[in-house]
Amino acid sequence: MTVSVTPTVKWVAQCYDHNEKHEHVSLYLLEEGDDVVLVDSGSFYHREKITSEIEVATDGSGLDAIILSHSDYPHAGNVRSLGGDTKGIELVASSGSPEQQGLPDARKCSIGDRLNVKGRTLSFIDPPLADRSHTTWIYDHSDGVLFTADGFGNYHEPNQCGFISSDFDEMIPAEEIYEYHRDNLVWLRYVDPEKIEKALDSIFTEFTINAVAPVHGNPITGKDVDVYLSRLYETLSRIAAEYDVG
Amino acid sequence: MNREIAPGIHWIYEAGSDRTEQFELAERKPDWYESGREAYVPQCAYLVEGDNETLLFDTLSPASTDQILDAIDELVGTRGLDYLVVSHPDVPHAGNTYAILEEHSETTLVAPAYGNDHELYKLDESLQVAEGDSIDLGNRVAEFHEATFLDAPVSVWMTEQKTETLFPVDWMGFPHLDEESLLFVDELDGTFDASRLVEFHGRVLFWYQYVDVEKTNAEIDNLIEKFDPEIIAPAHGLVIRENASEYMELMKDVTQTIDNQGRIGTLG
Ligand SMILES: [Zn+2]
Ligand SMILES: [Zn+2]
Repeated sequence: MTVSVTPTVKWVAQCYDHNEKHEHVSLYLLEEGDDVVLVDSGSFYHREKITSEIEVATDGSGLDAIILSHSDYPHAGNVRSLGGDTKGIELVASSGSPEQQGLPDARKCSIGDRLNVKGRTLSFIDPPLADRSHTTWIYDHSDGVLFTADGFGNYHEPNQCGFISSDFDEMIPAEEIYEYHRDNLVWLRYVDPEKIEKALDSIFTEFTINAVAPVHGNPITGKDVDVYLSRLYETLSRIAAEYDVG
Repeated sequence: MNREIAPGIHWIYEAGSDRTEQFELAERKPDWYESGREAYVPQCAYLVEGDNETLLFDTLSPASTDQILDAIDELVGTRGLDYLVVSHPDVPHAGNTYAILEEHSETTLVAPAYGNDHELYKLDESLQVAEGDSIDLGNRVAEFHEATFLDAPVSVWMTEQKTETLFPVDWMGFPHLDEESLLFVDELDGTFDASRLVEFHGRVLFWYQYVDVEKTNAEIDNLIEKFDPEIIAPAHGLVIRENASEYMELMKDVTQTIDNQGRIGTLG
């Protein structure tokens, strides 16, 4: 299912079924004139659906570039099948060891840098919430969208697969935000929540963020971003408080 | 390149690329670095031979598929590889899993029981292990542990009881200079400089910049008490086989240093 997040950013929503709850394993399309840039490539698990969604979204003309937040399999699972190592489709990745990550031909983007990809200006940001050293968050200057990879996720009910944050009755539930981060960013048990809040605040101050686009959650738009942030801060405090080193 | 650490435990080593430029070592001049030298952060896999069965811990990166396949042939020969343990499904650790399983139909894939999306890593049909689980190889036992300091949620640590070796995966890695490949830490010239550990953890454990230092260091004390190892065999460093717990103690200074100075950069 493809849902518009901002005028030129589309969400290709894909779900993994954890019995009662779903977890998104999504990707995003940036449309720049006739060019289409993919942010992350999803899991091999959804390959057929992703391939046909992209076929439709590009009117059959295919992608022009793929940017990876990191090389983790559920994010980088379709790089080759979508043509990410061919001459016509540029591959951009953050890894400092592309050969060890299985992406020897990628153009490197470094955290702190700004790159132009197919006419789109993108900034690469040190992610306060991630599951790999070389993960980068990606900020799209055109539409003000922050792509947060493994941060800002949530589980959802089977009828909420294509919801953006404003489709929920009272925004994305705090409990779903908490359970996602507890299960997936296990290291949060050791953090001082204030240090992460400070890092997030500085990102949200530096960049004008109209929408947050996670891979493992529903996109968060407009004023919902502030509500999400306050629920996320509660989550961080709760995870840290619940883990007792003894 | 391989080296036997203790009878029946083999260290399989992949250097990766020279990090001098990526780490800006000539300009930054960290204490551990000697100017003009090359510097490496290796990928290591370990092969454990028991009287009855054999076990490989991690696979090296996809840049070294032939190397790991050759090392398995050389080390287990006609005995075959009974278990392949994937510490976590990160490309540089697990990238040759399917190449190995294709060559070795006799091998049982072993994966961490932690995390909840094994299917997305094609690990759903593996033998899944968590704290308290073990595999008896004959005269020696591999025991599994929750990975304390990790990146991916699907992660596991291992110990080998006979030699009291701890395999802490992404924890306790560090860079080394050219000509130090496959040396034990006690064979290095001079004293071991803790800034090596800072260089690695300030990159790979990106979240160390946000920790509660007191809480994290209390956890390190717990680990020292729990494992008190004779040997530490990290995935991204040289093997420590003397005074191993003292190096775990050093990790408390590393936490404090990264808290003071912030993240150094990336690796991955
Ligand atoms: Zn992910
Ligand atoms: Zn769903």
